[in-house]
Amino acid sequence: MSTSAPQQWRSVLPYLSEPLPPDRTQQDAGTGDPAAVQVNLPLELLRQSVQAKEYWDIPEPVQEAYRRFRPTPLWRATAFEREVGARVPIWVKYEGGNISGSHKLNTALAQAYYYHRAGVRELVTGTGAGQWGTAMAAACALFGMRCTVFMVGGSLERKPYRGVLMRMLGARVHASPSGLTAIARSGASRGNSLSLAIGEAVEYAAATPDAAFCIGSGETYSILHQSVIGTEAIGQLADRGAEVDAVVGCVGAGSNFGGIALPFLAEAASTGADAPLLVAAESSSTPKLTRGVYAYDRTDATGAAPMEAMYTIGSDYGIPDSHSAGLRYHGAAKLVSALRHAGQVQATAVDQVAALEAGRLFTTSELTLPAPESGHALAAAARLAADGADGLRAERGVLVCASGHGYLDLGAYQQLMEGGLADQAPDPQALLRAVSGLDRVERQEALR
Amino acid sequence: MTTHQIDRATISQAVRRIVVAESQLAAAPDAVREDEPLNGSVLRINSLSFVKLLVQVEDDLSVTLPDDLFVGHSFRTVADLVDVVEQGVAA
Repeated sequence: MSTSAPQQWRSVLPYLSEPLPPDRTQQDAGTGDPAAVQVNLPLELLRQSVQAKEYWDIPEPVQEAYRRFRPTPLWRATAFEREVGARVPIWVKYEGGNISGSHKLNTALAQAYYYHRAGVRELVTGTGAGQWGTAMAAACALFGMRCTVFMVGGSLERKPYRGVLMRMLGARVHASPSGLTAIARSGASRGNSLSLAIGEAVEYAAATPDAAFCIGSGETYSILHQSVIGTEAIGQLADRGAEVDAVVGCVGAGSNFGGIALPFLAEAASTGADAPLLVAAESSSTPKLTRGVYAYDRTDATGAAPMEAMYTIGSDYGIPDSHSAGLRYHGAAKLVSALRHAGQVQATAVDQVAALEAGRLFTTSELTLPAPESGHALAAAARLAADGADGLRAERGVLVCASGHGYLDLGAYQQLMEGGLADQAPDPQALLRAVSGLDRVERQEALR
Repeated sequence: MTTHQIDRATISQAVRRIVVAESQLAAAPDAVREDEPLNGSVLRINSLSFVKLLVQVEDDLSVTLPDDLFVGHSFRTVADLVDVVEQGVAA
């Protein structure tokens, strides 16, 4: 039997040991009328975030779009296994084969569909590496919507062709800080570059008629939409008679990790089986899950969005520049964070050089060029399949999500090959300062 | 979007009960007037809590409300909310 593209998304919410901590809402900003309440989020997206319903029908227009690139390939990476000295099979699920070059299109299509159905005619968003912006531009093009993207300026300079592709798809692209918004003009933002880009998008959308801001990775509904990755993988592994006891994805906020891992958690919970190890691979320069605190923090630089319970290194922490812009985010999604807090998700940190070296090995052995972000997941998968790391070790097989391609990251690989790449370990004192004012979800959580 | 009709008084009661809970008020729902501002000195409803509130209204009344009545629209008072839910229930 061969696996086809899923017709339903699968939620893990029915299987949480306790409900997600509620968001702490702020007063509205930017509507021009402080007494009025403006609705910007389609109800269906909120339903998907709060209701403990396991299966959600994928609307037919979204299914039709998925069928252009799903199911995505899954294969046993035998040559990569040999390169890294694996004891157990490494299975790879590759999400880089669509126009956006990453998993981001899975939720961009769904979000654009729901916003369009709700009457919104322009979507505004912020993007780091540009994969989310490209996905949003493509989804808006499909559903006949305008799209405005604020992309981290440094990243746009390094990857100008991301901007070209987004513009080709009809989007307006602004390098952030742009000068178009008060938050950028004021220079008041203390947050990192992605949170500023998101903050600019929030402010711009609030001031633009018929427009809405939409966010990429961290929202619970985004992770639900990404469940197509893990749902397909479960079927594809079963088709091959394969078994894994570890599932790995890289974590910026957590959508590709949640997408590949959480259907395995739901499957285990629904059948009474043991869940595999679910391992989040993060950048060691943004170590929210391995060195952060579980606290309420901002999701963007404006602070207008609700404070969410998350593992965070502090939204004010100055994250060092790297080639993995998709991982340069201060916090993990509240769903991933809650599962981490409950002990159902493990985490490991990977240095940039190790990530790109894993990406290089994967390229030469499997003839597939992964994004540097995906290199973090591949490095973690290699460790689990070989000697183990951080007390984590696979005994039967590892499934890893290669979330995106690296064709626009060849500059990073060139730097690796020339020996010009270095790691930047976070400063413990700076980490402590960045989280010192945050309200902990549980006080006993402390920087390790 | 829904197959059964619900009268305005039932909708108003459900809406007031939920806005009181969302605003964390120690008050009886009947004490909230329909001309009370949603985001004022008594009730503290912002954009996100408003959407959550709509989903709670759906659960309470066993209805499904259409998105196009809400997204991009502004609401000032409890009556605005009751009106639009009534409209959604009738749609």
